[in-house]
Amino acid sequence: MPCKYVIGTGRELRRAVAAWRALDANLDVRAVEIPERADAAAIRAVVEALDQQEATAFVALDPRHLNFPRLELARVVAACGLSAPALVEAGAVVAAGVQLPVNAWIGAGAILQPECTLGANVVIGPGAIVGHGAMLGESAYIDAGVVIGHGAAIGVQATIGLGVAIGHGVQVGALCVIDRPGRIDADVAASTFIQTSHAHPIRIFGQ
Amino acid sequence: MRSKMPPQAYIDQAWFDRERELLFKPLWQFIGLKSMLDQHNAFISRTLFGIPIVVQNFRGELRAFENICPHRQNPIQVAPQGVRPLFCGYHGWSFDKDGQTKIPYEDALYRYPEEERACIHLRRFALEVVGGLVFVNVSNDPLPIKQQFGAAMLASMAQSSESYDAEVIMTTYDGAFNWKLIYENLRDGHHPRYVHPKTLYQDVKFEASINEYGLEALHRQQAEELTDRKRALALMRTYSYGGRDAPMEAPPNDWWHPHVERYRDQDWYYNWLAYPNLHVASSNGGHSFTIEHHIPVGPDRTEFVVYFVTAKKKQPYEASAAVLYAHAMGADPILREDIEVMEQIQRTLHGDARPAHLGDYEFINAGIEHWYLSLMEGKFAL
Repeated sequence: MPCKYVIGTGRELRRAVAAWRALDANLDVRAVEIPERADAAAIRAVVEALDQQEATAFVALDPRHLNFPRLELARVVAACGLSAPALVEAGAVVAAGVQLPVNAWIGAGAILQPECTLGANVVIGPGAIVGHGAMLGESAYIDAGVVIGHGAAIGVQATIGLGVAIGHGVQVGALCVIDRPGRIDADVAASTFIQTSHAHPIRIFGQ
Repeated sequence: MRSKMPPQAYIDQAWFDRERELLFKPLWQFIGLKSMLDQHNAFISRTLFGIPIVVQNFRGELRAFENICPHRQNPIQVAPQGVRPLFCGYHGWSFDKDGQTKIPYEDALYRYPEEERACIHLRRFALEVVGGLVFVNVSNDPLPIKQQFGAAMLASMAQSSESYDAEVIMTTYDGAFNWKLIYENLRDGHHPRYVHPKTLYQDVKFEASINEYGLEALHRQQAEELTDRKRALALMRTYSYGGRDAPMEAPPNDWWHPHVERYRDQDWYYNWLAYPNLHVASSNGGHSFTIEHHIPVGPDRTEFVVYFVTAKKKQPYEASAAVLYAHAMGADPILREDIEVMEQIQRTLHGDARPAHLGDYEFINAGIEHWYLSLMEGKFAL
């Protein structure tokens, strides 16, 4: 029987396992927990040890460390030859023509409007709205309920947190974290971190 | 021992204004990292003691100016840092490395008399680069930077900061407290076990102690009338020091450490305290550094600008931004623990508050206090 390995840690792993099981009660869904602080070699050893016959995979990690661990795990899964089809939860609305890349996760009730483009490994949380023609970079993480305006662009590995709305046409650079509820109406430079915990943005220079 | 510092030193606007004139304006001030100014037209702008300052790279030469266009007093550089010519966005005036201005449509629209035109240029400030650190001095007659920090401290700051990587993460905290509470806190080795028991103190067991020689020197200092500038400068230099502070509980061992050229190879917590308001630390034995610049903006307000850098990368690696971000987030609870205590203290201070009682282990702070009050009382000038 086909098997689905859901590989990751913590809450995201449990959520993804539940979502795959809800999609197909007959699917043999197996959770593969990656130990905290495991290095690349240890992760690879875990993935390589899986019986890959008739198996597919899905990577489910939170956006910690600017989504690098999630990206790294997805790369290991791909390098091991496991395919990782997108997960589209029940109730999500994906406009015709929108391509679903490898390991994309579209949460329940999310709406993807026409002509939006998604990079591999993106996460779009439950109830999020991605506007017409918006672009989400590889491994971007869009939390539940976020609104991405028409024509907006979210950079590679950027994280948009709960309660944020990105205005139409706004560009958010790679590796940004926007985790302060509110609307962003101006472009945000790459590696800028706007957080509830900090009154002033945090920025990286000299990359 | 009973502190001589009156509460007004922490809460009074007039006192603060006088402190700016007597203490800060004559001294060299950190303004940013050299790595943030490493290309033509790169700039940093900051407001220090009410004076807007811009440091600009002109084809490799760093220059510091007052960040005010002489035409209509518009700030020339508006962003805190970036890469942009020194050019005023209001009427298009631009400035060269000597502060001389090129005025568009000058003959058609301005027609300044020759004498007035000769005065139209930027006010330039002295600038010194110490390793990877950039300092400015707004005084008309700046004292040599060696007289402020001493040769050994300058060498130590230069050597350590030359190991900084060019990729830097930066943020600002708004502290509702007087800037002096920070240097007092930083020179108090007894607070970490109480203020940081679950954070910093887990990694490093700072132990306060009484230095009998230091205490004797303090008593001698307190017995003298500090009126000689040379003696005052010599004393001030002793308030800036740095290097190894305390051994780490366990060897530092983060996954990214092999990616950087570690500063030295000792498992120690390093601290550099540059009086009056710069603090550099390495909490992981020279693998990364935290640079804190405490900018006084009011008697009860301090801008706490914090930079985090790793030691130089051996070669670029993909997740270096995540390392810096984790560094900033990891240090955040410790900074907030300090800020919370200082804000609590600030809230308790009032015009009739009784003086603090310093222990003998706080002899350095007592010495600074004596020196500082002598300066504020006009017994000597910097």
